[in-house]
Amino acid sequence: MRKIQITNGMFVAMVVNLIFAKAIGVTQGVLARSIGQDMWVATLLGTLQGAAMMYIAYLAIRRTPHLNYIELGDLLLGKWFGKLIALLIFVFYLAAFGPVMITFVYHLKDYFLPEAPYWLFTSSALIIGSIGCFYGLEVMARIALIGSLFIFLLNTLIIIGSMKEFDIRNLLPLLEHGFPLTAAASLHFDADWALAIMLAALILPFVNGAAAYGRKLSVVSILASGMVIVIWAILEGAVLSAEVTSQYTISCMKLARNAHIGNFLQRYEMIMIALYSFSILFEVMFCIYGTSVSISKIFGLKSHKVMIAPVCIVLGLFGTWVVRDHFRAITYLENDWPRIALPIAFSLPLLMLGLRMLMRKKLNQAVQSQHGES
Amino acid sequence: MIGVTSMQEMTQEVIRLTLSDKTASIEEILGDSIDVQRRDFMFCGNPDYPGCCYSIDGLADAAVIDAALKALVVSGTELVDEPALLATAEEILSCLMFNAAVRACSTLAAGIERILSGDTLVLIEGVEQTLLISSKGWKDRSVEEPASENNTRGPRDGFTESIRTNTALVRRRIKDPMLRMEGMVIGTRSKTDVNIAYIQDLVKVGLVDEVKQRLSRIKIDAILESGYIEEMIEDAPFSPFNTLQSTERPDKVASALLEGRVAIFTDNTPVVLIAPTYFWQFIQAPDDYYNRYWVGTFFRMVRYIAFLISLTLPSIYVMLVSFHHEMIPTSLALTIASGREVVPFPVLLEAVLMELAFELMREAGLRMPKPIGQAVSIVGSLIIGQAAVQAGLVSPFMVIVIAITGISSFAIPSYSSSLALRIFRFPLLIASGTLGLLGFSGMFFILLLHALSIRSFGEPYLAPVSPFQQEAQRDMIVRMPMWMLDARPDFAQDTKRMGEHQKPQVPKEQKP
Amino acid sequence: MKRWLCLFISFIPLLLLTTSCYGLQQINELAIVTAVGLDVGKAPGSVKLSVQIIRPADARGQTGAPAGGTGQPIYSVSAEGDSIFDAIRNLGHFTSRRVYWAHNFLIVMHESYARRGIADMIDFFTRNHELRMNTWVAVTPDAPDEVISTITGLEVVPGQAVDRLFRNIQIVGLAPASDMRSLEEAFLSPSVQPVLAELKLVKRGISNKKPEEHGSIKQVELAGAAAFNKDKMVGWLSSIETKGAMYFLQKLKSGIEVVSCPQSKDQIVTLELKDIRLKVTPSYANQVPSFDIRMKLQADVVENDCGAPITEIREATERTLKEKLALHIEKAVARAQHYHSDFLKLADVFRNKFPVEWQTLGTDWNAVFVQAETTVEVEATIESTVLKAAKQEVK
Repeated sequence: MRKIQITNGMFVAMVVNLIFAKAIGVTQGVLARSIGQDMWVATLLGTLQGAAMMYIAYLAIRRTPHLNYIELGDLLLGKWFGKLIALLIFVFYLAAFGPVMITFVYHLKDYFLPEAPYWLFTSSALIIGSIGCFYGLEVMARIALIGSLFIFLLNTLIIIGSMKEFDIRNLLPLLEHGFPLTAAASLHFDADWALAIMLAALILPFVNGAAAYGRKLSVVSILASGMVIVIWAILEGAVLSAEVTSQYTISCMKLARNAHIGNFLQRYEMIMIALYSFSILFEVMFCIYGTSVSISKIFGLKSHKVMIAPVCIVLGLFGTWVVRDHFRAITYLENDWPRIALPIAFSLPLLMLGLRMLMRKKLNQAVQSQHGES
Repeated sequence: MIGVTSMQEMTQEVIRLTLSDKTASIEEILGDSIDVQRRDFMFCGNPDYPGCCYSIDGLADAAVIDAALKALVVSGTELVDEPALLATAEEILSCLMFNAAVRACSTLAAGIERILSGDTLVLIEGVEQTLLISSKGWKDRSVEEPASENNTRGPRDGFTESIRTNTALVRRRIKDPMLRMEGMVIGTRSKTDVNIAYIQDLVKVGLVDEVKQRLSRIKIDAILESGYIEEMIEDAPFSPFNTLQSTERPDKVASALLEGRVAIFTDNTPVVLIAPTYFWQFIQAPDDYYNRYWVGTFFRMVRYIAFLISLTLPSIYVMLVSFHHEMIPTSLALTIASGREVVPFPVLLEAVLMELAFELMREAGLRMPKPIGQAVSIVGSLIIGQAAVQAGLVSPFMVIVIAITGISSFAIPSYSSSLALRIFRFPLLIASGTLGLLGFSGMFFILLLHALSIRSFGEPYLAPVSPFQQEAQRDMIVRMPMWMLDARPDFAQDTKRMGEHQKPQVPKEQKP
Repeated sequence: MKRWLCLFISFIPLLLLTTSCYGLQQINELAIVTAVGLDVGKAPGSVKLSVQIIRPADARGQTGAPAGGTGQPIYSVSAEGDSIFDAIRNLGHFTSRRVYWAHNFLIVMHESYARRGIADMIDFFTRNHELRMNTWVAVTPDAPDEVISTITGLEVVPGQAVDRLFRNIQIVGLAPASDMRSLEEAFLSPSVQPVLAELKLVKRGISNKKPEEHGSIKQVELAGAAAFNKDKMVGWLSSIETKGAMYFLQKLKSGIEVVSCPQSKDQIVTLELKDIRLKVTPSYANQVPSFDIRMKLQADVVENDCGAPITEIREATERTLKEKLALHIEKAVARAQHYHSDFLKLADVFRNKFPVEWQTLGTDWNAVFVQAETTVEVEATIESTVLKAAKQEVK
């Protein structure tokens, strides 16, 4: 049985894909509602915070790069603690599925297929995601690479299509509401990095260069995602103006609808959505993966593939419940989701790091005995 | 006469039987076929030592048999006084015979197998073993250009149905002593020769053993074509993707061997299998390497675009016209709408019908006898295109879309993989026709997932795109100049291929 | 058994494909709208909606197949309703196909409808996913349903004709290029007000059948602008004021000015303006903002009726040109202040430079802006005489 190998590039691509889909549209709308045209400043601030948190997440498993958080929890405080960590991760990914579905369904349904029912979107996304999960982590990582190529193309297309209406005056004045408010608004962004941190919690053991390049890798992945997303923040502010951006649920689609090349290609947001769908389907795949892995650890199963089907049903019900009512969806997105995501994502790495430092002796013993065995 | 025992027992031992026993058992096994030739003779002209030789008429070359008989009878009479001196087959063949390929054989089973392969079996009274003379001489197709893999520049020889000719064509291109050919026989009744060719210090570690292990797993009665082998050893039996490359060109095989791959030759077919393979190889043609890199790069990009078009164009058209009309530029939308005013079918049905009609024409053109084939296919396409549009059955735009798709699928050099593409086109078409953009992107994603999960003999199928290999990008989308292609794929043992500073430089004295 | 189970599970996704194709509509089942007119209806508070629907077979002609054409490229209908959405649904009572907005070129509103308030129009067309953001929006003093069904110019489809008129605006320069996107942006902005182009019906066409009757065919003319305060129209801008306002709002490729000659008021020289740049610098004193407007351009002489060589009259003409352009700008600003509607985007300029002061002043910008002082300075140089030599003796 070949060991799963994920290269460094694949890891960065996975992080970018996981964050990109939601951050360019939905989060920008939320940010515009909070602080107007300084969305891109908030994005940059959020990027820095995310990089710091990712680094802490890496530090927590620096000594044991071949263990993910659950296994590390097992090692440190026993099996029940490991199960507790797995439960936290499960709750996190279950809650994350809400915004993911919001992004997916509202992108496709409101703009392209308004007559289709909600369950169609949820079920097709889950079916595709579970096929990807069945194929395994390597296939998911490879498709993330292709997804990042598509993201690059997507950014190029949107820049080409929006340059004509780019008005730098819309982005001024800078920091109109002052730095503290802008920093507070960037917390909305941190909810997106939380997804990446949880990905690292589960996936870092499989990455080839985790031991050697872990430091660089963690920071670079977040910075890369931040660069890619801030382009959209700037474009949405400059082309649409902040007031318009704040009016919409999915602001990236509003920007994409404006994009046109000359007079012939009047609307090409469909090409962009086709490219973008890779990123969002990867997010769905990864939510299924995260929930199935954590729940199989809770039940003590060997392979997570058995749990994929039941997990899909649970996720499907939850996702459909969230998106059915637009009002409920927005409330969930702006209020409930950050309250669940941020505590878990911020405290878990800190907790693991703290425990690791406190129980250094025990950890060394356990690591040595493992080395002795292997 | 010995009693009738099982053929197995009889054929296993040949020692201790007299000549008449041996001939009786041979004739019992071979039966009364009219093309089995038996020639009795006297060894060295001595009636105490009768001999007999068996061969199959049509498989064996009569001149070789003549030479053998001349050696055994005429030269034997002249040179050998006492035939008993030559008691073993080894002595006879080393001292008396002058055929180039003779060997001794100890079991009747092997002997009969070799008779049926075209050799001549010689039995002599008093000699324990038999002599096998290699006398293959049947009518074979001459070496000519392969019909389905054309090129504008480059060698025009192609494989034939004889395995030895095929291996010889490859040997001529690689005169390296490290080029090894291993033989196997597969098929209980057909006993087809299968040769595995590889370059020992270049081939991927473990690949040859893997190939041999998979081939020895095959238990089948007959191998009629390499396609049988391909289906029995491939990595993804349920996938439409080809995980083994098949070709009729010796230069493709030679370059594959030089990259560290393994080639599988099969007797009676000119198609040779190459393992492992990448998906992108099916879009590459040998022409790219023989022409200069500008030409090669340009046409390779054309082929990539053709590949994308043949996969997605009908689906995109159906999706746009059925669901997302706002994406079509307005003037185009009006043209499409005006063309569709009188058509009774919905677009999806129209697309499927036209696709089926195109496939029908293609298949009919293939099966038609040569003289009428050309004319009928041209007339057929004209009629279906023009007349159907004028009758109002299909819209002119749909005809154009299907025609472009068809032409693009023919631009792909490897015919068998373009079939895989055609198969994928249909689910994509149906998904985008029923669910719009959701169906198109979802089905495309699933296809991509599937392609990414396949491995071909251990190599990921979509490498070097995913997983990304930096050095291999020089030959992927563009073809870098020959002096820049200095590395082999990294699964080969020795990846350095070229010396330093290979870029051609004008000598200083000749510079203006 | 396992095989049957796998087969069964793999069939379930296939069921998805057999769902009844939500949203499927063949393109020839749509009534493609190319222009929309909005007017006040008979009942108070209602909307009268008129649409121009294109007949593809007639607009595009024969493609070799029987096409079912009737010779009329467009089909115009109208309906009334309490709101725009209601009126559209009422349209469906007699249009045999589903009305489809995605290829709409133009939205024309009647003056009375615009004065009543266009907030509902903006809300409807931006909430709906079908409409394009670069649909042109205009106001007309004539009946909108007549405007949208008049065949103008060389085009077969009137909506397309007006679309081309708008696209040429950078050269003709007589009306702002107001599309849905800029309208929404200006409407939602707390400081800037919208301004829309004006379409009129004028008798300009000459009938081929009756050439002696000049102007027997009406054509749609794009000239002038309508200023808004929030969502209600407050008034028209004359052509001079529109020209002045255009310098603020867009980057024109070229403009034209006819200037009288220095030595005799009856004769004129025509100048084409190139490379026009406008810069507004705000300053702030005693709770009152003031704006310093500088315009820089180059002019080419394209028609000289002065009877004197251009080298002689060059300086004087430049001066006259500067005065004229400054007058245009001042008139535009005066009109904006008169209407209490800052459609020249002066608020944005002020806000960018003085964000802190904006917090206090911005709440009632319309009133504050009326008191703002503006100084205008124009730098114009005549640099080219096109083909004729720029020398002493050449006229």
